[in-house]
Amino acid sequence: MPTINKRISEEIRAQARKLLEEGEVAAVLGYGAGSLPMTVKPLVVRNPEDCSKLIWNTFCVLNLANYLPAALKSVEPPRGPRDPKPEGPLPKVAILVTGCWSRNIVVQIQEHQVARDRVVVMGVGSRGMVSRRKVAALFPGLEILAVKEGDHELVVQGADFAETINRWSVVRDNCQSCTHPDPVLVDVRIGEPVSERKNPNPFMQVDAIEQKTGDERWAWFTAEFATCIRCYACRNACPLCYCPTCFVDDAKPQWVGKSLDAVDTGLFHILRAYHCAGRCTDCGTCETVCPMGINMRMLTKKLNKDVLNLYNIEAGMEPDAPLPLTTYTMDDPEKFIATEVTPVPGAVKEGK
Amino acid sequence: MTETTNWEPKIIAFLCNWCSYAGADLAGVSRFQYPPNIRIVRVPCSGRVSENMIMSALKSGADGILVSGCHPGDCHYISGNYFARRRFALLSNLLDFIGIESGRVNFSWVSASEGEQFAEVVQSVTERVKALGPATRLVKKIDALETELLIA
Amino acid sequence: MVKIMPKGSVLVVGGGIAGVQAALDLANSGFLVHLVERTAAIGGKMSQLDKTFPTNDCSACILSPKLVECGRHFNINLLTLSDLIALEGEPGSFKAIVRRRPRYIDPGKCIACGLCAEKCPKKVSNDYNMGIGERKAAYLSYPQAVPLKYALDPDHCIWINKPGRCGICAKVCPAGAINFDDTVKEHVLEVGSVVLALGFSRFDPSSLDFTGYGRLPNVVTSMEFERLLSPSGPCMGHLERPSDHREPKRIAWLQCVGSRDINRVGHPYCSSICCMFALKQAVIAKEHAHGEFESSIFFIDMRTHGKGFENYYNRAKKDGVHFHRARVHSVIPADDSGNLQLRYVDEQGKVMFAEFDMVVLSTGLQVYRHTVELAEMLGLELDADNFIKTDSFNPVVTSRPGVYVCGAASEPKDIPQSVMEASAAAAEAGLIMAPARWTETSKKVYPAEMNIHAQAPRIGVFVCHCGINISSVVDVEAVAAHAKNMDGVVFSQCNLFTCSQDTINQMVSIIKEQGLNRVVVASCSPRTHEPLFQETLRDAGLNKFLFEMANIRDQDSWVHQNEPEKATAKAKDLVAMAVARVRGEVALPYNTVPVTKSALVIGGGVSGMTAALSMADQSYPVTLIEQSECLGGNGRKVYRNWKGDKFLPFINELTARVTSHPQISVKYNTEITEVAGSVGKFITTFSDGHSFEHGVAVIAVGGQAYKPDDECQFLHGIDPRVQTLLELDQRFMEEDATLKEVKQAVFIHCIGSRIPERPYCSRVCCTHAIDSAVKLKELNPDMDIYMLYRDIRTYGQRERLYQEARAKGIIFIRYDLDHRPHVSEKDGRLLIHAHDPIIDANISIHPDLLVLATAILPREQTGSISKFFKCAVDSQGFLLEAHMKLRPVDFATEGVFLAGLCHYPKPIEEAIAQAKAAAARAAIILAYDAVPAESVTAMVTPAKCTGCGVCVEVCAYHAVALDENGISVVTTSMCKGCGACVAGCRSDAVTLKNIGNEQIMAAVDAAFY
Repeated sequence: MPTINKRISEEIRAQARKLLEEGEVAAVLGYGAGSLPMTVKPLVVRNPEDCSKLIWNTFCVLNLANYLPAALKSVEPPRGPRDPKPEGPLPKVAILVTGCWSRNIVVQIQEHQVARDRVVVMGVGSRGMVSRRKVAALFPGLEILAVKEGDHELVVQGADFAETINRWSVVRDNCQSCTHPDPVLVDVRIGEPVSERKNPNPFMQVDAIEQKTGDERWAWFTAEFATCIRCYACRNACPLCYCPTCFVDDAKPQWVGKSLDAVDTGLFHILRAYHCAGRCTDCGTCETVCPMGINMRMLTKKLNKDVLNLYNIEAGMEPDAPLPLTTYTMDDPEKFIATEVTPVPGAVKEGK
Repeated sequence: MTETTNWEPKIIAFLCNWCSYAGADLAGVSRFQYPPNIRIVRVPCSGRVSENMIMSALKSGADGILVSGCHPGDCHYISGNYFARRRFALLSNLLDFIGIESGRVNFSWVSASEGEQFAEVVQSVTERVKALGPATRLVKKIDALETELLIA
Repeated sequence: MVKIMPKGSVLVVGGGIAGVQAALDLANSGFLVHLVERTAAIGGKMSQLDKTFPTNDCSACILSPKLVECGRHFNINLLTLSDLIALEGEPGSFKAIVRRRPRYIDPGKCIACGLCAEKCPKKVSNDYNMGIGERKAAYLSYPQAVPLKYALDPDHCIWINKPGRCGICAKVCPAGAINFDDTVKEHVLEVGSVVLALGFSRFDPSSLDFTGYGRLPNVVTSMEFERLLSPSGPCMGHLERPSDHREPKRIAWLQCVGSRDINRVGHPYCSSICCMFALKQAVIAKEHAHGEFESSIFFIDMRTHGKGFENYYNRAKKDGVHFHRARVHSVIPADDSGNLQLRYVDEQGKVMFAEFDMVVLSTGLQVYRHTVELAEMLGLELDADNFIKTDSFNPVVTSRPGVYVCGAASEPKDIPQSVMEASAAAAEAGLIMAPARWTETSKKVYPAEMNIHAQAPRIGVFVCHCGINISSVVDVEAVAAHAKNMDGVVFSQCNLFTCSQDTINQMVSIIKEQGLNRVVVASCSPRTHEPLFQETLRDAGLNKFLFEMANIRDQDSWVHQNEPEKATAKAKDLVAMAVARVRGEVALPYNTVPVTKSALVIGGGVSGMTAALSMADQSYPVTLIEQSECLGGNGRKVYRNWKGDKFLPFINELTARVTSHPQISVKYNTEITEVAGSVGKFITTFSDGHSFEHGVAVIAVGGQAYKPDDECQFLHGIDPRVQTLLELDQRFMEEDATLKEVKQAVFIHCIGSRIPERPYCSRVCCTHAIDSAVKLKELNPDMDIYMLYRDIRTYGQRERLYQEARAKGIIFIRYDLDHRPHVSEKDGRLLIHAHDPIIDANISIHPDLLVLATAILPREQTGSISKFFKCAVDSQGFLLEAHMKLRPVDFATEGVFLAGLCHYPKPIEEAIAQAKAAAARAAIILAYDAVPAESVTAMVTPAKCTGCGVCVEVCAYHAVALDENGISVVTTSMCKGCGACVAGCRSDAVTLKNIGNEQIMAAVDAAFY
């Protein structure tokens, strides 16, 4: 019996072909085979005959939502910024998503970057994606030439070795702590739905850092980000980072210096993470694409934890709900207001 | 360490025009004395203050930050402080998470009639920052160097 | 009567704070004002004060902007050294003759350089400093005088008295302004109405031998002491006693000198303000003192009945001011040192002696002699104390139609009350002339604004001494010198008072001469002074937004008094920050919003109805909402006022006028559910779902009586013989015959007031209780009545009622918080235990009527209504006005005004005056077709905009939207400039004009140079 991902791949190709042939969509955003083992590349398929190039495997780690706005733009008739909007409905794009990427599309809808009616969501329940880095770490000094994928194990092959490893043990951290593996938006269901994962503590890694002392946390932070080379791969791979001019590139004022100074690098990561507050779905792409192996996801995960604990919101679960930082309640927690001022006796209590 | 013996922190205070800045004026009118370490920046609303501004002030060498606005419900602009409260709650936690000393970045609500409270807030923030010593984390070194040169 | 077109100009007599306020209100609502002032400069008594209670605001600092505005106002014709000598005609068309005495110095030529005064050989006692020290015969009344023009004193000038003998001033004057041939001129002014703001004089204690005043140099009056405290006074704010210029360490204040004194003075009334005046002086003197300081106040009753006063009193007690409830028998020299010995009898009847370095006499207020003469000339009725007579329900209306009075000329009163009356008088005066609005006025034309677009910054920095307010702590010269080195600064200088007229004028010429294109003033708070300096920029042809202030007083010198070096360093930083900020600022447009010419009044009590009528009579449509099903509010529960005028007929008449007025629509059982918009155009939605568009709003939601039921100790609600004042009033109104059968009645004062959880005085209850007691005596002269009180606060002429009560045999027994009366029931009789401090014994009374004088509280809904209009509420829940002294009916929120009990407890005449004042202030906005709108608004850089819509979501004013291309656009007219969108924008695509990230961060960085 073929593996689950093989069956999914077949289904993807069939559905994509159908959508393109019927003219339902102008393009399908999916994955094609990568040039190196354990890699894939994003693929835009515009002709039904190209659908055979679409694949699905356990290494699909790039967040396709990142390419969706551009893909949508690419199928529109070309027009200048002052040209009027064309009449009638615009062509649609189909996109392959798992849980977290579907939530990114929800955020894109909330933030007016994507029109819901132009997207055909091909939903796949995620079984967790494998971290290339984790696999490589098991074979120090060895070159991996191929990895064969089973449902629960991987066969790692090199020039002179082949070893079978447990797949889950090398699944990315973000996937391991994921609680919403199934897409929240589905137009075309691919494969079987995956049930919500009961994770006793999705924020375990964050908690571990929180339990350190302040000085230890600072040591962790400085060490973690010390190797950053400011390549901005994390930013470029993130579907949330779509500003025409990123704050790091601003000159008036210059929020963050452009050097590799630890302060500049630190500020870049703090503010980039902060800008994802309440929007990040923990897709893990930033970490996956980092050439230096920096765990910058810890910052966004910490913010996700606080947004959930303080405001009971998880990013991208409902297209109609406001984003956590564009709404409020009268009695939001304010423990951080630490001014230690005793109220004046008899001070008026105003009605709410 | 000669520079620490005479060291006086500089604290940047972003105060909303309608409540906290007025509260600071009232502290003056009432002659409530407080430590001279704060440098007040008048902004229209606590909701005008962004995470970028706070981080940038730290980068420039602020030993402490105070952001103060109207009490919840009293915002001159209806809801600015409610949005601010969410933003600052997350920022404050994040800064704590990366090991920025608690007490470097402070938030308060002070109304236009709370001159004495304003003085108390400044007093306590200054004491806290003094206890922490000069800011080193997230301070752009080049600025710190310049400051040292100036002190020398 | 034939309706004639009234005149569009008005005469205001008196240039004190009341006259200035009336003149400004009238001029700003479309009338030409002739402001007649007897002396050489406006400012009146307030200009002589050092500080004002209860906020300890520097008096000159808060007054000066008003005087400058008045002096510069396009539609105020300032006539100094002038008197009104005749008035004929009728309301709407008077002919007034004003006689102007010669100044002998041409104000058109005088440049206020002061050379004439410097060279003048003739020394004269300095009347501005209450005769302490000297000035010259060529003089300027005071440093911030408006107009800032010198004058020659004709009584003392050598040349004027013996022509040819001196004339040195004419020789030295560089402007050729001296004109010895100046003569008396008479002006005939045709005006529609007349406002009298004649002020008050202070009682001269020379006749009171026991005080030693006049014989003992260290006995001074409170006004003299005020000058001794003032930085612009004879000892530059370094308190010295007159005899030996030593700093006094022990000062006594003697209250009620020339007040509440029938035997020696013939002034039966209370002067209302002296208790607070003395408290303030005791507190301020202590601040001035270096080291040990002892202050004692000798008083009869401590009358701290105004907003914030009781707190001030409590704080003074905490700060160690000693209080002696005693009238001083005599002040005699203690020895040869100049010290003084006071002999007095304490509360227990023991003769006491105490020694002080100095004695301050809290002299009472009285009318000027010339006020009486003027009143006679005008044919105005005076009351028994020679104050100008007004009616309980028409507080600023005199006996002559078309002539109105405000301020202390009608009764002793404090500044806010005078300011309220001034606005009320402006409302009344404006009513007659409403058809002629804008017919005689002219419009201020500013010079064309310089285009500075391509210019490099040329910044001017002006650093203020503020007398000694700043310079006594901050080294202002060093700050100015430091500023010279800052990037873009081409000019910097220090000024004694940057807000004074001469400095303002000088600033205009410096801006022009130096070609400045941005200005920084380092002085006080922009919240009070920014408008004044911004206008100065406009006068100099600069856009007013090219301006910043560094607050080196309120937020520096005043709060770091003991750390001059650090305060100076801070001042340098603050100036550097302001310079950095202004450097990046650009010229902004002056936006306006059209005014919807209608008003909303919230609350249908006396205040609300009065305000509604006042605006409707000027033909503005008014919607009045009332939460109950009838109009009249608390007024319907009160029997009569202290003058014996019954409320009900007045309120019925008022209600009838309101309900039948074509311009007023009344909505009963209505509350507010939503308010949108701002000054010029509010849209208010009511509980019935309807909404109403209005340009202004007056909040007059009233107050409520404290219910003593929770405090079971008074048996109220349990025993029917225990009643509140309002319940007793109900019985008076019903003419309850059983009241005559009461044999013994007890009144307990201050139930729920002046206690730690409610530290304010309810102001009206002493008078109300005593009047009720007097009424009981009228019903049954044999009734025994006991008043258990803490301080009797029958301020002003209400004191007469207190005298009448005592004359009728009503017995007053004082209690304090440690000996509160205890009420119980025994064998079916009420039993009251109290402590009599005079005989120091416990007493028991068995009354058959116990009346509780309960507190007035703010209504519960005050807070929610204030939130709808974004107004502030004080710590007690009363609405908080924009400024306690000078803006008593305004809110910090533009276009919203307040009146009545929701502001603070007050009697009906004060509520009516406040309501009329609120209407006058509101009518100023309604008089215009458009009012200035926010210029500091948000602006989008489309190229940086992602269209994410965060700005749209966080904007509370719906001023931001996404256009069809998904890019943010700001509707400027709806933007209030809060900057929530700016802080929310991740891509820095939105900025706030002149408060952008760039300017703010430049300021922050400047703090670290």
